[in-house]
This record gives sequence, C-alpha cells and structure tokens, in this order.
Amino acid sequence: MPVIEVSHLIKEYRLGAMHGLKQTLLNTGARLMGKKVPERPLFKALDDVSFSIEAGEVVGIIGHNGAGKSTLLKMLAKISTPTRGSVTANGRIAPLIEVGAGFVPDFTGRENVYLNGAILGMSRQEIDKKFDEIVDFAEMAEFIDTPVKRYSSGMQVKLAFAVATSVESEILIVDEVLAVGDLAFQRKCFDRMEDIIKGQGRTILLVSHNIRQVERMCNRVILMDHGKVAADGPATEVCELFYQQSNIKIQAQAQHAATARVSGSGEVTIDSIDVLDDAGHPVNEIESGGRLRVRIRFTLLHDLEGIEIVAGTHRTDFIYISSASTRDVLPNAAFSRGPHEIEYIVPTFPLAAGTYSVRLVFLDRNWRFLFNGESLKTFTVKAKRLQTMNSQWKTVDLPSELRVDGTLYALPQ
Amino acid sequence: MLTIAKNIYDYRELMATLAWKNIALRYKQAYLGIAWAVLKPVTLMLIFTLVKSFVGIDSGDIPYPILVFAALMPWTFFQESASDGVNSVVGNTALIKKIYFPREIFPITSVLTKLVELGINFLILAGLMVWYQMMPSVYILWVPLIIAYTVLAALTIAFVGAAVNVYYRDVGAAMPVLLSLLMYTSPVIYPLQLVKDKLLVQQAAGEWSNMLYTLYTLNPLAGIIDAFQNVVLRSQPPDLATLIPGALMIAVLLPLSYIYFKRAENYFADVI
Repeated sequence: MPVIEVSHLIKEYRLGAMHGLKQTLLNTGARLMGKKVPERPLFKALDDVSFSIEAGEVVGIIGHNGAGKSTLLKMLAKISTPTRGSVTANGRIAPLIEVGAGFVPDFTGRENVYLNGAILGMSRQEIDKKFDEIVDFAEMAEFIDTPVKRYSSGMQVKLAFAVATSVESEILIVDEVLAVGDLAFQRKCFDRMEDIIKGQGRTILLVSHNIRQVERMCNRVILMDHGKVAADGPATEVCELFYQQSNIKIQAQAQHAATARVSGSGEVTIDSIDVLDDAGHPVNEIESGGRLRVRIRFTLLHDLEGIEIVAGTHRTDFIYISSASTRDVLPNAAFSRGPHEIEYIVPTFPLAAGTYSVRLVFLDRNWRFLFNGESLKTFTVKAKRLQTMNSQWKTVDLPSELRVDGTLYALPQ
Repeated sequence: MLTIAKNIYDYRELMATLAWKNIALRYKQAYLGIAWAVLKPVTLMLIFTLVKSFVGIDSGDIPYPILVFAALMPWTFFQESASDGVNSVVGNTALIKKIYFPREIFPITSVLTKLVELGINFLILAGLMVWYQMMPSVYILWVPLIIAYTVLAALTIAFVGAAVNVYYRDVGAAMPVLLSLLMYTSPVIYPLQLVKDKLLVQQAAGEWSNMLYTLYTLNPLAGIIDAFQNVVLRSQPPDLATLIPGALMIAVLLPLSYIYFKRAENYFADVI
C-alpha cells in the first residue's frame, strides 16, 4: 500500500490582490441584484498531479522556480487544501519546511528546543529523551541557555535542523534545508540525512535546487514543470532531463541578457555572426569536443590596408578562451571597401558544457581599434555524455588517461 | 463533537507548550513579570471605586471595591481571551504557513493562556476577601462551571473572529471598540441588581421592560458576572433566570462559529 497517494491534484490561486471589506460587500450586493461581478483570474499552481510513493522510497522533487514544488509540499503537509483532487498520507508527517519557523527570539535555546519539538509533534518525554543528542548534534551545549536572539543565524539554523531531524515520523518532508551552516556542518547535515534515508528506512520527500544532491540521495525523482509532472522516474534519468531543460533556459536567458559590448570608430559594421554546423546551417549549440565554426560578415566603409582581425571566444564571465588573428597568416591584409566574410574555425572545441560567446576585434596597422566587440553571439556547448559530478569540476575536456595499479585506461572522450 | 474533544486531547501537550510560550514571552523581559496580569483589573478596580465615590452606585451590602473586582475578573478574562483569540491566527502567520496542526489550537491556546492569568487574580480576590472579612460559602464550587461557560463564550467570538480576521483585518481592529461597548452593557461597573430594579421592579420602560431585560441577559456576560458575584461574595446560588438566555445563545452560536472556523481554516495558509 502506498504511503502517499496523490491523485488528480489541482490547486488554483486567484491572481491579484484581495478585495477590501467594502468591495466585497458591494460585489455581494451586485450579485444579489443579479449583476455580473468581475472575477479575479485563476492561476493553476498545480495541474492534475498524480503519483504514489511507497514506504521507504526517497523521492526528490525538482523543477524551476514556480514549477509548483513548494505548493505540492504544502498540500502533502496539509498546510493548504487542494482545490480538487486528493492527497492521502498514511503516517505521521514531519515537515522540515524552512527550519526554525517556530523559533521565538526571546527564548533560550533550551526553551526553543522544547517549543519547536512540540510544534513538530514530539511529546515532552520524547524531547526530554533526545535533548542531549539534539544539543550535541547542534554543537550548542555552551549556548543552550542563551536567548536565541543572541545567536548567529548559522547557530539558529543548526539548532533548528537538529530538532527537526530528531522527530520520529514515518514521512519526512525536506525543503531546501541542507544548505545551512558552514561547510563542516553541512557535511554533518548531509550525513544525518543519509543516515535517516539509508539507515532508518523512512519515506522521504526532498525538494531542492541542488540537483547533484537530489541525484545522489534519491532513488526516484519527480520533475515538475508549470504545475505538471513533467517526468517521474529513476534519479539519473530525470536529473539529466532537467539539465537539458535548464541549459536551454540558461541559453535563452544568456542570449537575451548578454547584450553585445561594442565600441569602435565606425569604419567597420558587422552584418552577421553565425555559428555553423558542418553543413553550413546556423545553429546555437555544438557538442563538446566538436567543431566550432563561426562565420562573420562585415562591411568596410572605405579601403583599409594592413588591418588585423582577431576572432575569439569567451565565457559568460568574460574569461577569454581562444583567439585567432589574421596577422599570423596575412601580415599585410588589405581589404577593399564593401562586404567581406571570414570564418573562424576550431576543429575541436574541447570546452566543458556551458554557454560561451564570440568576440571580435579589428585593428589598423597602428594598433588603433576600429572595432571591439564582446558577447556578439552566444552559443551553447553541450556535453557529449551523461553529466556526472565530475563535469562541474572542469573548464576544458582534455583527452586523458588514468593508470590504475599499473593498468592504463584511456578515458572516453 | 467527539473529534473536537479528540483533537484537543491529542494536542494537549502542544497547547500547554504554546500557552507556556505565550505567558513566558509576555513577561520575559518585564521587570514586574507576571504581576502585570493582576495590574489591569486592580487598576480598573481602583478607578471604578474612585468614580463610584462621585456618581454613587448602590452596591447593596457588599463593599464596592470587592464587588467590582469580582466583576472585573470574569470580564477581563473574557475580554482578553476573545480579543487575543481573534488575533491568534493572524499572529501566528509563520506557523500557519509552515506546519499543520488543527488550527483551532490557536484560539483555544489564547484562552488557556488567559486562564492562567485569571488564576493569579484569584489570589488578589482571596486577599480582598480576607481584608473585608468575607467567608466563602459552599456555592463557591460553582466557580469552575462559571469559568467553563465563560471560556465557551470567549471561544464563540474567538473562532469566528479569528477566521474572518484572516480575510479582513478589520475584525482585529474593531474588537477593542466592540468589547468596550460590551463592557458597558454588562454589569461590570454597576451590579445587575440595579438593572433588575429599574426594569423588572420599576418597569422603567413601560410594557417593553420585561423584553428589554431578556435582551440584556442575552449577553452571556450579564449572567456570568452576576453568577460569579453570587457564588463568591453573596453566598447564593447563581440566578438561573439571568444565565439561561445567554447560555442558550452560546449553545446555538458556538457550533456555528466553530463550523465556520473549520471551513475557513483550509484556506488560511493561502490567504493570510
């Protein structure tokens, strides 16, 4: 029997502000008189969501901001009621939604442990029994009788986390709490979560923007998108899907936000810059380690001799990656007035997945800038294989080998 | 009815803890601490006694200060639990949005909190009784019942008020005004006997007199205050005729108020 059963869950919110008492009375009056009253438009935060979770499953819920993750959690935790559809949960639910919600600043740590424990549904004896463990875990023994308002925010969160995770419930709901405290404490939180997940066999729902964490801790992931379940399946697959979606979104944003930075004398105008595939069609995405081909079309105002054209790429944080200059092949290039075209080709562009931009410089023989532009064209490099943790830790994808106990392995490119 | 009782029983520890929080919080950084709980009725008692010396209110054979204090005790308890109860849901927005437990716990806890302060006021009452050399009679056993009735009356206002207050904060703002109006239509400053004399004996409003009196006693506080004074000071049983109209009204309104609250609670987290 499933522990959590969600069927055809719909949650609608009314957009816009609530009316005051006066407007409500007027509207009620109008309605009684048989007149039409303008309704505030509805917004579906959750749209026909169905899934069920078995005992002992660790399920991650991921999605972009506003995808409905938190609304879903609120429904599961009974904080809010569905507009239609149903949520059934068999067992005590401990919501770890924003730790420390019930903390009272004027109370000491000790008092807050008891208060917060009671709010989370622990009995007094239960808290008594676990008190030392909680304080010990939070590393707060020294400050436990000091009012919480004198704590640093990190200390508060540590204590709150310790209380919340000591609730013995069948179902634990965790919303973005692991990123708390300093690195050492985060590690501890992480271990504690793993212990709860692996050791105690509880059912856990984890909502996070840290996809790595979700991928690592969960065996099943639900991807939410615009209030719907976009995917539901094994963690690695769904996370990979989410990455692809994210990349598309980031690229769209980057192309939108990365307004070209251009300066120049006006003697050169750029007509078009395109990234081309092997067949010569404009694309926005190339594969890591694949061929980068940038076609630049420009027009000169008058004849120019001895100019140098430099094309290159940079990251969105303006770290220059590559560049090639015409001076190295054509030291005294002369271009006539009118349109021209050059192509900048990198046979293997070995950069890690991400978003990159094209830059372009025109110099005359006296090294005067005729044109200088950055972020002229944004393109994405996509990973050739499934991303792993390791892909975060590199900028370039170099062919590498590993020798393990004397045996040589070539890493797949 | 059974589920309400079960909820209250299941969450008794939480309510106790929250009530303790309210009390501790209120007096945490106050030098006078819990003494503030008695300061309000005692000050009002002194003011009313002073006023009485100008206007002259016939308090019968009971000294006026203790009579007015015995009226102020249930009144202050009722007034504060009703207004705190109305604001209890909005005042706990952080909890409402983060965690679920039956929402009626908030108004109920507010009333519980005030019960503790009422308890402290009994010490003052006992002191006054010693001072005026009054002996409590066996009728004092009625006190728990009267207080339970006051609790129900306060909850009747607290449930519906708290729910509406989530949608319209006007209610929270209107409470002090409405409650001070109610104080003057309750026998706090004057004893109920004066109203009885005017309406029932002298028939001051002509043929309307009896009806006006019933209307007056529809206010549960009329019965509560009079009964409290009877059993504590006058060594008499409560006057059921003054108690019944108000009690009937509460018996009808409390379930309605509670049902309204339970219906509205589903949307508290969305609207608040």
